[in-house]
Amino acid sequence: MMRHALAEGWLLLRSRGLISPILALSLAIPISLAGVTISIRQWLEPVIDLGDREGVVAILLHPRLDEADRQSWIDEQTRKHSEWRLVEVEPEELAVRMSTWFPYLEELLEREGPEMLPPMVEIRTRTPESVLDLRNDNSVLAVGPTSSINQVVGRVAGRFATVLFTVAGLLMAGAILFAGVWVHLELHRNAEEIAIMRLMGATESTVRGPFLVAVAAPALLAAAASIVITVVAVGWISRLAAPLGLATSGPMLLLLAAQVCCAIVLPLAAAVITLERHAATEE
Amino acid sequence: MIRIRGVTKDYDRRQILRGLDLSVDAGEMVFLTGPSGAGKTTLLRLLYAAEKPTSGEIWLAGDRVDTMHRSGLPKLRRKIGVIFQDFKLLRRKTVLENVTFVLRFHGIAPREANRRAYKVLKRLGLHHRQGALPESLSGGEQQRVAIARALVYQPRLILADEPTGNLDADLASELLSLLCDINYQGATVVVATHDHALLESLPARTLVLRRGVIDYDGRWPP
Repeated sequence: MMRHALAEGWLLLRSRGLISPILALSLAIPISLAGVTISIRQWLEPVIDLGDREGVVAILLHPRLDEADRQSWIDEQTRKHSEWRLVEVEPEELAVRMSTWFPYLEELLEREGPEMLPPMVEIRTRTPESVLDLRNDNSVLAVGPTSSINQVVGRVAGRFATVLFTVAGLLMAGAILFAGVWVHLELHRNAEEIAIMRLMGATESTVRGPFLVAVAAPALLAAAASIVITVVAVGWISRLAAPLGLATSGPMLLLLAAQVCCAIVLPLAAAVITLERHAATEE
Repeated sequence: MIRIRGVTKDYDRRQILRGLDLSVDAGEMVFLTGPSGAGKTTLLRLLYAAEKPTSGEIWLAGDRVDTMHRSGLPKLRRKIGVIFQDFKLLRRKTVLENVTFVLRFHGIAPREANRRAYKVLKRLGLHHRQGALPESLSGGEQQRVAIARALVYQPRLILADEPTGNLDADLASELLSLLCDINYQGATVVVATHDHALLESLPARTLVLRRGVIDYDGRWPP
């Protein structure tokens, strides 16, 4: 049965010369595009917030403010700026951070205790620049970096990735549809022979085998092509991105395995669905 | 082998078969005759499950055919050798391939399939054309290929729809002798034919179908 499927599938492929490479290419392009996008996202994620999340601005309050004053100041700012979310950092937590950032302070902090540090408040907002006004507030000792460039770059990169995924998804849907339509047309073209085979006692697997082989061959080609394209493209882009200081790497093995699965399983699923519908119609 | 109970078949409100009852025992040879449009081909199509009856029951070798799920049809059809009126040959396959491809469904190895196919083709005088495509054959030759394909796997039931329609007298006689041989070996043979000479040549049970009902059941001539 397998020999029959391979022989007839090969005949089917040979008789429709250009269809296989076109189908393979139409599968490989979106799969590679998605693979490259995922790889680049992995490089960017540690350095840029790709989500549409808020930025965090740290401010130091004046040490003269006691706990009640600080709470009253936080409540006042929350009232004024409804989109800010203010959270006071615990002194112990702040001490840990300071020791990490400035190791030479560790000894001093151990000796004097975390109470020596001015109280810190973190403001989470989508517009970090709006926090800059607090520099003129008497209760504020210092305002941390307020640039939203990181959020903007992250947002743009995130949306660009979404666009690329959408394009890859649409192209992939088109390629799967192409595989299904091709099988559908071949079924019509060979309808008479299929009907004769069924009347002679051919099982569904005998009838379907050649069509599945004819789809599996370009699908395998697409799987191989998408791996090659992804590895080459990611390598090339990583060389371009190296001066930006990004920790680039090749595509993950898991990603390549997922690409192979997509390239093979999805068009075969489309072919199986088309064949099943055809068999049901024949009935 | 064949049990038919109250079978009717309608096409666009036109009743082709009307409450047909029929029983054919295993090993019997039966001729089915009648005027054009009497329902001979329809009855054969119902037997090899190419169509379903509008009502009634059809039993073939103990299996109910009319309600059979499509997954069960290949097994059923592999028990039947059908000789079609319009040959139904695979246009892109050679004569040999047309005969051997059915043997593949029976799991017969290619070499053995070729041997068996050659033997049947030789008996039908077509062995010298085994590499030809059907379109290069005459009507009679195509019919013989269709016959070879139906006989090659020695089915338990043979349904033949006008098998001698395109054959000359000698070949028709050779075919009849072939069908008789198979019948002697235990196969049930049902032959739908207009050919009175064929009916007269063999004292077999003959069913005359007229306006969708069996008008006569006995030896020919009535």
